[in-house]
Amino acid sequence: MIAFGISITEPDPYRRYAEPGIALAREPDSAVLAFAAVGPVARTYNLILDAAAARDDLEALVLLHPHTEISDPGFCDAVRAALRDGDVAVAGCVGGSGGRSIAWWDGPVSCAPMIHRYEELGGGETTAFAWAHPDRAPADVESVDGMLLVLSPWAVRELRFDERLRRNWGHDVDFCRQAREAGRRVVTADLRVIHHHPLELVDEMAVWVDAHVDYAAKWQQDELSEEQWKRRARRAEAEREAERAIAYSNALIQDARVAELERELAAATGTLAWRMTEPLRRANALRRRLRN
Amino acid sequence: MIAFGCAVTRPDVYRECAAQGIRRAAEPDSVVFDGPSAGTIFESYNALLDRARELDGLEALVLVHQDAEIVDADFGAKLRAALSDPDVGVVGCVGAVGVRSIAWWEGSVAQASFVHRYDEHGGGDLPAFSWAWDEAPPYARTGDVDTLDGFVLALSPWAVRELRFDESLGQLHGYDLDFCLQVRAAGRRVVTADFRAIHNHALEPFSDPEEWIRAHMAIADKWDGRLPGVGWAPGSWRERALIAEAETDAAKLTGHSLGLAHLAKVRELERALEETRTSISWRLGTPLRALERRRAATG
Repeated sequence: MIAFGISITEPDPYRRYAEPGIALAREPDSAVLAFAAVGPVARTYNLILDAAAARDDLEALVLLHPHTEISDPGFCDAVRAALRDGDVAVAGCVGGSGGRSIAWWDGPVSCAPMIHRYEELGGGETTAFAWAHPDRAPADVESVDGMLLVLSPWAVRELRFDERLRRNWGHDVDFCRQAREAGRRVVTADLRVIHHHPLELVDEMAVWVDAHVDYAAKWQQDELSEEQWKRRARRAEAEREAERAIAYSNALIQDARVAELERELAAATGTLAWRMTEPLRRANALRRRLRN
Repeated sequence: MIAFGCAVTRPDVYRECAAQGIRRAAEPDSVVFDGPSAGTIFESYNALLDRARELDGLEALVLVHQDAEIVDADFGAKLRAALSDPDVGVVGCVGAVGVRSIAWWEGSVAQASFVHRYDEHGGGDLPAFSWAWDEAPPYARTGDVDTLDGFVLALSPWAVRELRFDESLGQLHGYDLDFCLQVRAAGRRVVTADFRAIHNHALEPFSDPEEWIRAHMAIADKWDGRLPGVGWAPGSWRERALIAEAETDAAKLTGHSLGLAHLAKVRELERALEETRTSISWRLGTPLRALERRRAATG
């Protein structure tokens, strides 16, 4: 039996996205473990793990974010295929080998075909994680993204999310690391979803930074001397400011592209010919409204 | 007498930018050193200092990037006013306080009287916040700063005589901060003045991030503990490393977010253009647009 687990903070996105996806993917005997969010997401997930672990017939537990919509009716077959090797503990639709941090995408990334759907600027969709230049799943990775986590029965029974990581970022990377530390595999697989998400990838960056530090502090294993820490800090502070400058200049370049298109549009719609045909466009718009 | 110096690596750029500004700002007795660059910017600028030092009656040496154009015809008067206090060692038109590294823009920027002119995507101008003083924010002001942007630096005779650009620091980056720190370490002042310049520059900040990173580290090491704030951050080295690593990843993530937002905006505009150009009214207006183009061509 493949179970689905969700931590629900707000019912609306669950109803709009996760629920229809589960309805598409589930099998007649599938359990849906929809729990109200309590504390950090790690705590709610552990409650779901406890509930799933009690099921003797469990083949897999699919933990998904309320904004994740499964888009493949053959999803359960893909889950079974991903977990065929008994060493696989966790599978996901996108993941990477970023290594040292919760920024798992800061390294080789692999991804199933998936869509990022947004509502800003009139709405639209784009290939999810295209900015990370992913290879096509499947692949062994260090971590998968928590928008969708497929856990093996072993993972459900033997591992727990670390509730000390209280900032709701990094719990996925930490869980995957626990699995790998136990000698198991973490993989991406052909698990197709639509990710309903704003264009801004992280809304509270200061919280994300704190989560990054918490995770690094937990797993920091190097015994560094004061001088080694100093060199590492110097390097990191320089890289930080370089990255900020690069991000800013990339935004300027993109702004320049937008300005170029705005000029082109203004030129196209600023002609006498365009202004003279305005009544025709208004009449057409009215006709469309009446028809609808 | 005000002298001007430029380390020229691309004569065409120099002719189109710096030379125009120097012509505008120079006075009849001004001397202009515009020979080819003599190695790194540190070495080239030291060679210019050596030459300026020999000049009688030197009031200031103005070091200008080849892609920077001074726009004030009364530049000389403004510079003399700024240098009227003999404690002033160096003057610029872009500066910041609270600067801890060569990323001076991460400090509190006090004056930015320049336009960033770029060629990409059809070109454009990005006026900085105090390019037009009547539109400047409340924090915009001339006066003392920790450091200046080096694209236009005016050095006092004292600075020309007593200081050198530190050639051990690398090829290009950080020469301006290091020089300003030397001025302040010697008890002199670093100030901004009310002159303006155009910086003709690509939109990318540097083509060689690794070299910039090395310069950042070298200057932090050189000045840490010698002047307050430089190379400093709160916390232990371990804490600083972990926080900076997190913030590095956060900066990359912000870049990805901005990229997505821009992609969506570009798509929206492309969609609007496509809808415009495939509409019935666009097709109906084709003869009239052709007529408009013909009239525009014939004046």
